Amino acid sequence: MGELLRRIRYLLNRRRYDAELESDMEFHREMAARAGQNNFGNELRMREQSREAWGWMWLDRLWQDIRYGTRILARAPGFTLVAVLVLAIGIGVNVSAFSLFNMIALKPMPVRDPDTLVRLERRSPHAYTSEMPYPSLLFYQDHAKTLSAVMGVLGIPPMQIDDDLQPTSVSFVTPNYFTELGTTAAIGRLMNTERDGKPGAPPVAVLSYGLWQRRFEGDASIVGRTIRLDKKPATVIGVTAYKFASLGGQHPDIWLPMAQQPNFVEGSHVLTSMDSSARMWGRLAPGVTAKMAEQELATLTNELRKQYPKDIWDNEYIQSSPGGHAQVMQPEMYSVAAMIGVLTLLILIVSCANLGALLLARAVTREREIGIRMAIGANRARVFRQLCTESLMLAVLGSTAGMTLGWLVVRETLRRMGDVPKWFTATPDWRILLFTTGMTGFAALFFGLAPALQIARQKQRKTIARQILVGAQVAASCVLLIVAGLLVRASLHALYTDPGFGYEQLLTIDAGLGRHGYSAPEAKAYLEQMQSRLRSVPGVRSVSLVKLPPLGHAVSREDREIDGRKVLMYPNWVAPDFFKTMSIPMVLGRSFYPGEKHAVIVSESLARRQWPGQNPVGKPVGQLVAGDEQKDIVVGVAGDARINALSDDDAVEQYWPMQQEDMPDMSIIVRTAGASDSLPPVAKAISESLDGKLFPEIRQVKMLYHENIEAVEQVALVVSLVGLTAVLLAGVGIIGLVAFTVSQRTKEIAIRLALGARPAAVLATVLRQFSWPVALGLVTGTGFAAAGSKVLRKALFGVSNLDPAGYAGALCVLSLIVIVAALLPARRALRLDLAKILHYE
Amino acid sequence: MPSGALTMLILRVLQSGTLHGYAIGQRIHVLSSEVLAVDEGLLYPTLQKMLLKGWVTAEWGISETNRKVRFYRLTPEGRKQLKEEMSGYDRVTQAIQDILRTA
Repeated sequence: MGELLRRIRYLLNRRRYDAELESDMEFHREMAARAGQNNFGNELRMREQSREAWGWMWLDRLWQDIRYGTRILARAPGFTLVAVLVLAIGIGVNVSAFSLFNMIALKPMPVRDPDTLVRLERRSPHAYTSEMPYPSLLFYQDHAKTLSAVMGVLGIPPMQIDDDLQPTSVSFVTPNYFTELGTTAAIGRLMNTERDGKPGAPPVAVLSYGLWQRRFEGDASIVGRTIRLDKKPATVIGVTAYKFASLGGQHPDIWLPMAQQPNFVEGSHVLTSMDSSARMWGRLAPGVTAKMAEQELATLTNELRKQYPKDIWDNEYIQSSPGGHAQVMQPEMYSVAAMIGVLTLLILIVSCANLGALLLARAVTREREIGIRMAIGANRARVFRQLCTESLMLAVLGSTAGMTLGWLVVRETLRRMGDVPKWFTATPDWRILLFTTGMTGFAALFFGLAPALQIARQKQRKTIARQILVGAQVAASCVLLIVAGLLVRASLHALYTDPGFGYEQLLTIDAGLGRHGYSAPEAKAYLEQMQSRLRSVPGVRSVSLVKLPPLGHAVSREDREIDGRKVLMYPNWVAPDFFKTMSIPMVLGRSFYPGEKHAVIVSESLARRQWPGQNPVGKPVGQLVAGDEQKDIVVGVAGDARINALSDDDAVEQYWPMQQEDMPDMSIIVRTAGASDSLPPVAKAISESLDGKLFPEIRQVKMLYHENIEAVEQVALVVSLVGLTAVLLAGVGIIGLVAFTVSQRTKEIAIRLALGARPAAVLATVLRQFSWPVALGLVTGTGFAAAGSKVLRKALFGVSNLDPAGYAGALCVLSLIVIVAALLPARRALRLDLAKILHYE
Repeated sequence: MPSGALTMLILRVLQSGTLHGYAIGQRIHVLSSEVLAVDEGLLYPTLQKMLLKGWVTAEWGISETNRKVRFYRLTPEGRKQLKEEMSGYDRVTQAIQDILRTA
């Protein structure tokens, strides 16, 4: 310890220590001279040796290398600029991707103790749901000792503020929601358990900052004012802060206390029924791990089953996931993130290979300088170290530029994405800095090592390094181009493919009858009246009923296997004129009769898979349900209509006729003759006249469809840009390498041409060294792309991940670029003045 | 002289008082009946290492020729180091002598 301190003291006072040493030695010589001894050694050498004892010589050498490196880089500004740019692109892309991932999954939200927050969901080996019955939530809250707090969030369809046309998003939360998150209000106060948790407490509302600015113009007098939500009063008590972080990535604009839910959604039994509806969050008690909490909850679940034996599944348990980040990560998300990470890394590899090639070319021009230095006495290790320092300097410059580029890209992305939490920021935090440092080191190693080794060993003649660089660039660009090609094809497919139903002039109306406590006969009456009134509106072609509306909130799916192939079966319960209203063609058979039982209609794909080559009409389907005398019989085959799974090629549909008990869950669908934009207010008015308690959610299917597609389009655009950049980089790199190779062998080419060889033959000799790296690169690139693109399947609308057209296209483009890149510099060489070359020495 | 021995000799020579660099070299030369001559190129690097290790400290003083020069002084750690080195040296010398006598 003391030694380290002494070393540091030396470092800080070097000049004084050196002066003292010098004085000592001078004195020594004086005395020696007096005594007649004259064997002076090399004074400077001795001083240097003395200084070495303190162990800071490496610092001196590093500083020397840096100064030298700066001079070298400044002397070739063109090269330095290109190198920094290439690196900036490679590192910048990686930093951008990691920044976004960081904010979504790694960075803890600015709430109190984010590591102790958990999201709790019901799971069993056969079932999976993200919601929980409210009474269960209360049970766990009362009995769980491992959880210091339990929060519930209930989302509902948007509500109407006062007389607005557009509804606003609302959530009901338990009163401890804001206090647990530890946020403060921008104005007014937020909910707390003492004041708002008592039964009979008045209805209060908390507004989001955005809503306060947009709808209420930031008026501070909103606090204490009463607003009407779906015609029911609520007093605004406060507004959340600008940078408020809400749980689970959902950002409603209004929060209401959970206990008020039955007042705002009249007739609702959500708080007392065992239908799953609320999302449950918890905070682990101090010192408790998630595992311990899960164990206690499992025991409590068994207790709960005794109270509600029918509603709790067998083998049900509660699973906890970390809840302190912007998005609760599911396992599939990690694989997508990993894939994106690999793609960005590939771009970095292309950049580095590019840069490595540039450096190799430069190495030759520095042959002389290195030769002189070694002749004077620099040992190889020293030269190698100095070259590595140069590479590091270049890497640091490149990474600074890359971080700036990344920051700009992230800032723009955040600005363009609409629904981004305000606490997301483009400013790097320690994780991003660490990541960038790692990337820089990796890049420096990748592009700096080979040239440095080559130079230090003075062995430029071997071409293996060049070949590896070309191969790496080609392979990486290949993967990127193939992936980009697949995604572009998928988006084209999605844009121009018929989803199987007419979405352009379709409207869905969901009155949430079940939520409002309607019984089946009451629901039937409402629906029949709505339908007949709607049919008499001019411009309405057809009206029908469906349980799971197209592109709606509720999706149901059964995973089945037919003949060993995975099939995703989307069931639905529909009225007889459903197919006509949805413009789904009936391929075989007929639609349902009203009130028919034991009938089923299957989609074309399902028919093809289940009964290949046969007519399925009349065949029985499925298992015998307990209490029924017969199985369901197929009465018709409808065209494929992916109403809830636009992107899934494995999706098949099966329809049952709606029965009396389905009525409270049914939604109305309307097909209009022209555009559907004018219908929503009319439909709303009709519903109000039938029952003022209801606030049906009316949505235009074409808008939902376009929203769905847009996301894919944007991703495809970004990936294409990235792929193109990578390919251009690779192209430039290959041009550079070939030009360099040609310039090395200019004399040889000139001699051969002078002796009468055909230009093509000469070119072939020069370029032959690149043929196997390019071929190998293409093959490995294709292989990687094929293996890795499985992860992309979800994003590839209707396009197989081994789609031959996509692969062929990408390979053609890449080969073309490689050939052009190789021929361009070579052709120039062939045109050179032979006589001049042969005379030049 | 054997390479590790210089440190030990310097420590020993400083045991009786402070000396400047030249005087240390002279003292060793004289006490060894002029058998050992300390090279300037070896002395000062060794002194620097001993300063780093904290076995000696340096302070300014006036030499016999009326010139300002640094005098080196033994520290308590240095005394401890001297004892260790001397016992180590004894053991090794004894061992070598045993071999030479009997082998």
